[in-house]
Amino acid sequence: MKRVRFSQQEIVFAVFALLFAVFSIFLPGFLSPDNMLTLLQNVAVLGILGLAMAIVVIGRGIDISLIAALAVPSGLVLQMVQNGHSLTAALAAAVLFTICFGLVNGWLIAYAEVPSLFATLATGIFVAGLGQAALFQLDVVQWSDGMAGFERLGQGTIFGVPTSIVMFAVACVVVALLLRQTRWGAYIYAIGDNPYAARVTGIPSRPIVVLQYVLASLIGCFAGLVMAASVNSMPTRIFNSTLIYDVILVVVLGGIGLSGGRGGVVNVVIGTLLIGTMLNGMTILDVPYAGQNLIKGVVLLAAVITDSFLNPRNEETAQQGDI
Amino acid sequence: MSDIILSLSGATKLYAGVPAIEDVDFDLRRGEIHALVGENGAGKSTLTKVMAGVVALTSGTMTVDGVVVAPKTPLEARNLGIGMVFQENSLVPTMTVAQNLYLGQEKFYNRLRGIYIAAQQFLQSLNFDVTPTVTVGALGAAKKQMVEIARAVLHRAKVIIFDEPTATLTPEEKKYFFDLVRDLKKRGVSIVFISHALEEALLLADRITVLRDGKRVVTDDAARFDRARIVQAMVGRDLSNTLYGARKATARPAGARVLTVQNLKMAPMVKNNSLSVFAGQITGVFGLVGAGRTETFKIVAGVLKRDFFHGGEILLHDKPVRFRVPAPAVKAGVAYVTEDRKVEGFFETASIARNIYLGLLAKFPKGRWLLSKRETNTVGTGWIERLKVRAISDEAKVVELSGGNQQKVVIAKSLIQQPELIIFDEPTRGVDVGAIVEIHELINRLADEGKAVVVISSYLPEIMALSDRILVSRQGKVVEEFSALEATEEKIMYAAIH
Repeated sequence: MKRVRFSQQEIVFAVFALLFAVFSIFLPGFLSPDNMLTLLQNVAVLGILGLAMAIVVIGRGIDISLIAALAVPSGLVLQMVQNGHSLTAALAAAVLFTICFGLVNGWLIAYAEVPSLFATLATGIFVAGLGQAALFQLDVVQWSDGMAGFERLGQGTIFGVPTSIVMFAVACVVVALLLRQTRWGAYIYAIGDNPYAARVTGIPSRPIVVLQYVLASLIGCFAGLVMAASVNSMPTRIFNSTLIYDVILVVVLGGIGLSGGRGGVVNVVIGTLLIGTMLNGMTILDVPYAGQNLIKGVVLLAAVITDSFLNPRNEETAQQGDI
Repeated sequence: MSDIILSLSGATKLYAGVPAIEDVDFDLRRGEIHALVGENGAGKSTLTKVMAGVVALTSGTMTVDGVVVAPKTPLEARNLGIGMVFQENSLVPTMTVAQNLYLGQEKFYNRLRGIYIAAQQFLQSLNFDVTPTVTVGALGAAKKQMVEIARAVLHRAKVIIFDEPTATLTPEEKKYFFDLVRDLKKRGVSIVFISHALEEALLLADRITVLRDGKRVVTDDAARFDRARIVQAMVGRDLSNTLYGARKATARPAGARVLTVQNLKMAPMVKNNSLSVFAGQITGVFGLVGAGRTETFKIVAGVLKRDFFHGGEILLHDKPVRFRVPAPAVKAGVAYVTEDRKVEGFFETASIARNIYLGLLAKFPKGRWLLSKRETNTVGTGWIERLKVRAISDEAKVVELSGGNQQKVVIAKSLIQQPELIIFDEPTRGVDVGAIVEIHELINRLADEGKAVVVISSYLPEIMALSDRILVSRQGKVVEEFSALEATEEKIMYAAIH
């Protein structure tokens, strides 16, 4: 007796396709080139953040401070250039800042053994506060002449594809190679699967956990630069938005289990496509903000419930080894 | 009233089309102690779960007091008078003994004093020495089990089923447990218990049923069994000579000193422990649970957290070392094969090959920046063949394997690191008989190849069968040392207890 089992990613992809088809037919303007561009651009930043989140979630952690890593270093670049520093110096400072941010996160989680949720919650608030109190003069850091040329990171097209999408694709390839093809990637999966076994096996668990958070912060910073380049400014108040929930939604919906060790870049892409389409469709339909949250909540619940129906974890499956 | 309280006939349970038990007939007499023995995967757990209402039969019938029943939940089974004491405690650790006893029976107005008094009287009537106001988490394994038993009796169980009741108990606690079971029997309760320790089955049971590959091989009075007959029925071949069999005729001589531990301290488990381990022989470490054996060697391998280290010296090849995490210990050629493979043994979402490959990566990362699919496969098939891991394919997930095969994968993951000092902590716990023989052969081969091998075991026959040199540990330190040739079970046990 063989039952066909759909994985969560296949279901989510099917739902995405269905949603896309329905919107295309019934929503005037959904398929217009302008709207596709907006959709993909919104999706790009969300997707890059999803990749950052995926790395830590696969390693059995979570990084709530990602939005601070998105907003503050990229805001710093714009601010420094505005203040007369060169773009190179500003970028170097931002990258250094981001690495320190990741190191602090990683150290707190790996060495001080603070649960990742609390550690990143605290550091995120701290860094966002630091940015607003000490680094930025205004909530929205404006583009200045010194940034000329940099907007190409988020605007225009490369071979006819919007640049931000290309950036998402590049990030996908880099992260996929890292996770699937390198030793570090194997370690990240191993730690997420069973941190105790990873330790006993001799895997340098703590340095690898630090690495995860440094990578996540760097990818978050990259997402921030793409975002700043595409809108020609950095609205640093984005930290106060619900963007981080969308990022978690993308990762969980895509099928990367929060228990670690499972999933990959494909799951992030699928999750991103679904959430992007959904958000865009709701915006066109003019669903009020509260209604959007309601729908997102229902979708997330549905995903989790479907998963536990399709892949039940009861005594029978849990104890296959000992019949 | 018939003599048979519970019976199964033609019992079959399929998991995804594969029979876990097949056409099993089983009967339980009133007031008897009935042992179920068999290799892992023989169907013991499934059989008891059917009786306890945890799983439903695919076909076949079950009767209680001559009435055909089909309990679908543990609650239905409990109402039929069948209670089960699981291997993993099903007690709430933060609640008191009394609260646990009456869990689920609380009245709307739940007066704590009332249940304490009731529990006190009830426990006294059973002669159980447990204080009802103590939280369960503070109790030892034996007392927890008493509470579980008391709960089953409280629910008016006529049949109590135990799944490996003695696995976590010390010898003294075991003795106490045996008395409890005999006392229950006197009260007319029928007992079914699963055991891997054949001596227990022979000692305690009135009748023994042997299962193999989901089928019943034989049921007979315990008096008509001996160790050899059970083992033969379990494996279907005569293994009694190789399995913990004949005493060692010769002991391997000691090679170079590989490990020296001097005055190691770690409160509260290790007190001034000193010992040495030599190359080219097997050093068996025997002791009761709580003797500090595992802790001592976990400190050596860097597995225990550094803040537990309270002094003493560890020398590896006569050089002082202090491993704060396992990674540098692995690099230095120390491998620790855990006693608890489900917790810290293997990666359950990864394939067999990937599990073993991760061991290689951790020890020899140089030049392995990128993963090699080919090397993973070579490593996987090579070790699967070498250790005779029985799996559908090397892509199979480790969690899908039987206990013995899982253990082999954990061992392979360590051996690929080419360690000089290998510490096996309870290497055959929860492993079926066939695999025990193979793992023992493997351990012997390692010593023949000149490695320093440590075997920690609470099972005397295993220590006797493997060791060239036996260290006996008691209350946090090694108290006595025997060569394999002079050691007897009595001498070792005496040193471990007194």
